[in-house]
Amino acid sequence: MLSYIVRRLWQMIPTLLGVMLLLFTLYTLVGGDPSYILAGKSLSAETIASIRTQLGLDKSLPEQFLIFVKQVLTMNFGTSWSTQQPVSEIIRTRIGPSVMLLLTWQLCSLFFSLLFAASVAYYKGSIYDRAVTIISTVAMSISILVYIIAGQYFLAYKMQWFPVYGWGNGFWQNFLLYIPLPLIIGVAVSVAPDTRFYRSCFIEEMNQDYVRTARAKGLSERKVMLKHVMRNALIPIVTGVMSSLPYMITGSVLMERFFGIPGLGNEILKAVNSSDFPVIKAITIYLVIAIMVFNLLADLLYKWIDPRVKLN
Amino acid sequence: MKKIVQVALMTALTMGSSMALAVSPKETLNIAFPAGATGFDPAKVSDQYSLNVVSNIYDPLMTYDYLARPYKLIPNTIEAMPTITNGGKTYTFKIKPGIYFAPDPAFKGKKRELVAADYVYSFKRMLDKTINSPQSYLVEGQFVGMDKLVKAAGNGPLNYDTQIEGIKALDKYTLQINLTHVNYNFDTILAMPSFGAVAREVIEANKANTNAHPVGTGPYELKEWRPGSKIELVANPNFRKEVFNFKGNPKDPVSMKVAKEMHGKIIPQVKQVNINIILEEQPTWLAFLNNQLDVTGIPQPALKEALVMNPKNPLDVKLAPKYADKGFQLQRLKQLEITFYFFNMDDPEVGGYTPQKIALRRAIAMAFPRNETIARIRRGQAVPVEYAIPEGVAGYNPNFNMGINFNPAKANALLDAAGYKIGPDGYRMQPDGSPLSVQMGTGSTAIDRQWNEYWQQAFDSLKIKLTFKVGRWSELAKANREGKLQMWGMAWGADYPDGQNFMQMFYGPNKGDANFSGFNLPAYNKDYEETLKLPNGEKRQKLYDKMNRMLAQYGPYIFDDTRVSSIMAHSDVHGLKVNPLITYWRYIEIKK
Repeated sequence: MLSYIVRRLWQMIPTLLGVMLLLFTLYTLVGGDPSYILAGKSLSAETIASIRTQLGLDKSLPEQFLIFVKQVLTMNFGTSWSTQQPVSEIIRTRIGPSVMLLLTWQLCSLFFSLLFAASVAYYKGSIYDRAVTIISTVAMSISILVYIIAGQYFLAYKMQWFPVYGWGNGFWQNFLLYIPLPLIIGVAVSVAPDTRFYRSCFIEEMNQDYVRTARAKGLSERKVMLKHVMRNALIPIVTGVMSSLPYMITGSVLMERFFGIPGLGNEILKAVNSSDFPVIKAITIYLVIAIMVFNLLADLLYKWIDPRVKLN
Repeated sequence: MKKIVQVALMTALTMGSSMALAVSPKETLNIAFPAGATGFDPAKVSDQYSLNVVSNIYDPLMTYDYLARPYKLIPNTIEAMPTITNGGKTYTFKIKPGIYFAPDPAFKGKKRELVAADYVYSFKRMLDKTINSPQSYLVEGQFVGMDKLVKAAGNGPLNYDTQIEGIKALDKYTLQINLTHVNYNFDTILAMPSFGAVAREVIEANKANTNAHPVGTGPYELKEWRPGSKIELVANPNFRKEVFNFKGNPKDPVSMKVAKEMHGKIIPQVKQVNINIILEEQPTWLAFLNNQLDVTGIPQPALKEALVMNPKNPLDVKLAPKYADKGFQLQRLKQLEITFYFFNMDDPEVGGYTPQKIALRRAIAMAFPRNETIARIRRGQAVPVEYAIPEGVAGYNPNFNMGINFNPAKANALLDAAGYKIGPDGYRMQPDGSPLSVQMGTGSTAIDRQWNEYWQQAFDSLKIKLTFKVGRWSELAKANREGKLQMWGMAWGADYPDGQNFMQMFYGPNKGDANFSGFNLPAYNKDYEETLKLPNGEKRQKLYDKMNRMLAQYGPYIFDDTRVSSIMAHSDVHGLKVNPLITYWRYIEIKK
């Protein structure tokens, strides 16, 4: 197991290098020129050249890439080109709200969709199953933007149950006052597709021979569902959950924009729009590392859920 | 459900810190910006939102009368308006003693007084190459001896201890500016927020991040800045005693009311300003209606709901009864701006000064349905631009007309006469028979697409091929500088309310800088240079009219419109009179 983990960690280095090269190439080709934004109304050649020198954009491409490598090795990405704030400070202050929203969203969504999926799979073919399937299909075909606009209008403005918008200074204030509305909307959006996916995972397992055998042995339905079906159905579910967790880093752009959550989603969009390469670099690298780590964790979880899985 | 939510809210209130977006407590103003600020170092920022904050933290030498229209410059940190000598080249300012910076550790516990040397330092910073001020173009080449100082510094920082003739402190409170050439508008430049005084010791103590550490002599200081999310200002405890004594204009009932209700009150009445960055229009509008914001601009989608428009004249509006009955206030503001499209004058197809090229540009301008875009896209809340200087800016002429009216039939006839024949593919060719195709720069938003549809319609009516180059602003600006764009549209807002700020956009030597089209007409350049030597008055106005006729004749720009904004406030906001040159924050009070 340990050697497997060490090997996977080693494999992360070339992957990271590849991502860095790709990111650098893409930014160089289509990233835009921030000097034109920073120059304001004055676009004289002298001003543009001076800004480019200050940002290090006048250096050769290999030199710029080496600086990038050094930044990754030291995990110090310098300061934002557009606001001059340290990138580490930007990420430190933004990651909390993103994680607070997306982690609660993910957990609630997982809980409700597993609940619905298991129950509809159990009552497969019933009116309940059909109703949930139809509702899920309809819900999936509506854009998240519609949920947000309608939710904000009815639940916050008309019913006055929640503030329309905002973010406070304390954890509990945010958790109890500002998170609930985007959370409810987010869960409403994601429960439908997750329920359908998990339902199919459960049904597939319920049709397996070992389930019939378990029932034939006289095991209770509760035991059959929780001990046998659930455990085996969890593999694709874990894959889905673990692959979505790293994206907590990138936040949810729409939710953050509409509800004023100062997360990383908006920061990424702002950085891309202003060609703020230090911020883009930092968030991309952190995201790649998170994806690789969560992939590794997912593999380890497979082994824990199903000891038959071999880690080669 | 409602009870559960209420219990949660109560718990949050008890457990959390104060609610940032609750109903406005007295003395706190809650507003929203549609974009985040980039920082608060006056030399480093140029976007409107950052400058709005900067103008409340720092003090320029002069400011504007809150209520006077036309806009009137008044002393701010100086005892009286500057004395101008040496034929308009020397400005002398007497700074009021007893003005103090907000407390900061850099002052080591002592109260720090504002002196002339602070302005000397602050103005020099605008031209420091290590700062790369986006506002440097306003003062480049203006101060005697400054070019030499800048050159000596190379790409390094300026030697601020070197005295120059152009900006000097004659004594503790006397500042003298010597210009390289006559400039009667220089006081309006110095009244811009970017020319507020910074303290050298604060800048040097926070070199790594001057944008996040603003310390000035203005009415507010920065309490908290979460870029892209929130800005909180609190009253500067060291702010001098200032009393509201602006006079209202009898022709303007709002200004009379404001003058009466605020007269004699200490500035600022609002002790805290909470600025929420709300990027989307719906939450801004709903937050305002829910009393989370005190004042807001009415977003375009809400215009029909909030206003009752006169169908014959959409600019004649009043508040919808449901809002008027609640005591909401409405104020209107014609922006100090022009929006326009320009042609690349160096482009072989659309540029040039020959009659054929002029005819092509004029025909394109005549085919564009400007009144329709105002009615549909602007929802009637804009006026056509008929002069390169907008209303409210010194040098504006309300009686001038560019003489370019929407008339596709005449535009086609003009192209026929100029030799742009229709080819076998149904599209026009150039007079020499080569293909004619125009590429226009555009953004990628839904609004951009609406504009593009009208442009497509215009070009189709002329049977000229049109393609769009979609890109971000920086990409298009770069493409334009490199001569790769043929047409592009943008807006120019007044940096200061003088016509020169607009007429310089067409001055040949400014090509590649603020002269986006690269228009370079010797006759225009000569007249422009002549206007620089003149104060605002009849002689300059005549020259501006002549220069506008040249713009109409050669058509490097298609002048579009000036937007009219609607601002709404709750009934408990008193003293509000919107002014495009200064913010109202310090001049209002909030009381039930």
